[in-house]
Formats: sequence, structure tokens, C-alpha cells
Amino acid sequence: MKDLADHLFDIIENSVNAGADEVIVKIAYTESYFFCFISDNGKGISGQEVLDPFVTSRTTRRVGLGLPLLKRTAEDTGGYLKIKRIDESGGTALQFKMYLTHIDAKPVGDLARTFSDIFFAWPEVTVRLFVIRDGIERLILDFQKLRDEIEQGLKNYTNIRKHIHEVSHKDFKDINII
Amino acid sequence: MKNIEELKMMREKVRQDLRLRSGQHRVRIVVGMGSCGIAAGAREVMNEFVTLVENSKKEDIVVTASGCFGFCAQEPMIHIYVEDQRPVTYRNVDIEAARLIFNEHVLNNKVVEQYLFSKGKK
Repeated sequence: MKDLADHLFDIIENSVNAGADEVIVKIAYTESYFFCFISDNGKGISGQEVLDPFVTSRTTRRVGLGLPLLKRTAEDTGGYLKIKRIDESGGTALQFKMYLTHIDAKPVGDLARTFSDIFFAWPEVTVRLFVIRDGIERLILDFQKLRDEIEQGLKNYTNIRKHIHEVSHKDFKDINII
Repeated sequence: MKNIEELKMMREKVRQDLRLRSGQHRVRIVVGMGSCGIAAGAREVMNEFVTLVENSKKEDIVVTASGCFGFCAQEPMIHIYVEDQRPVTYRNVDIEAARLIFNEHVLNNKVVEQYLFSKGKK
């Protein structure tokens, strides 16, 4: 993975693969760190073994690297990754933090594009993106709302990529250190 | 007169119909988006296909994603499903390959041997 945007896409792909159709992403950042919380309503994990690359439920190959790689990316900067099953709903929640000023920190990359890519790759999945700033959570992207607007003819499917970029660039422009 | 709940249910039904119909595109381009694909640049490839479809103004082509299917070393991989034809899988697809495959295979039904991985059953 060349940047954080790739990692984020990969982690959400995990959710989709686990059968999730709702994913909540919350991002908080300053100049020095990047924090991200993701929860989904997929089938959930049974324990911490998902962080072991040689444990996987898939049948196509025997190693799973997505989460271990992200854990390493976070820990290399002095950060962390935690993952757990959400007991009430059976989904999965994870959070990670990485320090952007650390010499081993990966570039953040184009986060806005991560979200437009998700919209195109899995149009039926509802992602809600919140940005936390000064302790206040703000919903900046809601795929359900976007789909509704497309259905009602308020937005054009072909322009949706641009729209997602515009909306999320406002919030991400300070950290798009590519 | 219908209440909000009924309207919502109607909308949900229409939406499901749409989803079913979306299976009837003439061409489906599926980009492998496992960790391996992403690391190899599959996102760029998917974006390129989305742009190519947009520019072609064709509405019977859809771009979508799948997970890894076990040949990580040959990512980015894509599958092309053309109605009534055998699906074709390509390997090591970069932006240039995406353009070639789109022009040759998707628009003109010619398989691009250079990037061919396998042909599936009908």
C-alpha cells in the first residue's frame, strides 16, 4: 500500500467482503496525527486472529495481509490499531491512529478519491463519513443520500465522482500531503 | 393517499428492481480489489475504466469491483463479462492496458492477447 488512502480503501473492502452494507467512518486529524474509526454491520470477527497474516477464512489464498499491513503502518509511527467485534450488532469496529510527523509515516494520499472509488466499486453499500474537529462530529458524506439524489434526478451518476471530490476536498485539503 | 412508510416501501421496491436490472448490462467490467489488487494499483485502473465508460457515453457498460481471487502476483486483474460470450480475465492491467482492453474488447469484441490470463466458461 503506497499511502493511507489505499489502506482505507482496503479496510472498507474487508467490510464489504464480510457482507456489510453499512459502514461508518469517522476521521479526526491534526498536523501531527491521523485518527480513524470504522464500524460496519458485516458478519464480524471471532477474535484478534485477523491480525495474524496466516489466519484467514478465505479459500482463494492462505494469507491475509490487509489488516496486518495497516497495523504495521500505524505502529511504525508510534501509533496503534485495535479491532473488535461489536457484541450487540455482530459487526466489526476498528480504530487506528498514526503519527504523521514520524519519519516512517506513509503519505496520506488522496482520501477524497478513496470515497469516490468506494462509491463506484460497491454502489449498494452505504458509507457515512464523519469528520471530527474540536470534539464535534460532522457528517460530510452519506452515500444513501447521494443515491437518493441520483434517483430523484437531482444529481447525475456521471458527475458523482466530481461531487464526492468537491465535498470531501473541503475537509481534507489540509492533509492531502501526497 | 399513502403515508410516508408506504412511500418508503415503494421506493425500496423500485430500488431493488433497479438493482436486479443492473445485472442486465451488456458489458460488466469487474476489477479485482483485494489488498493485492489495491497495492498493485487497481484503484487507478478502476478509475480509468469509469472515465472511459463516461467518455464513451455508453449506458450499457458497468464497472464494478470484486475481491481477490488468488493470483495476487498478477494483479491488477480484471474480468470482462460481455453478454452471451465467455468471460475473459486479464492480468497485469495498467492504465495503458485498460485503454487498449476497453477499445478492443469492450467496444469491438476483440480479445487482447497481450494481457490475457484466461477465458472462462459461458
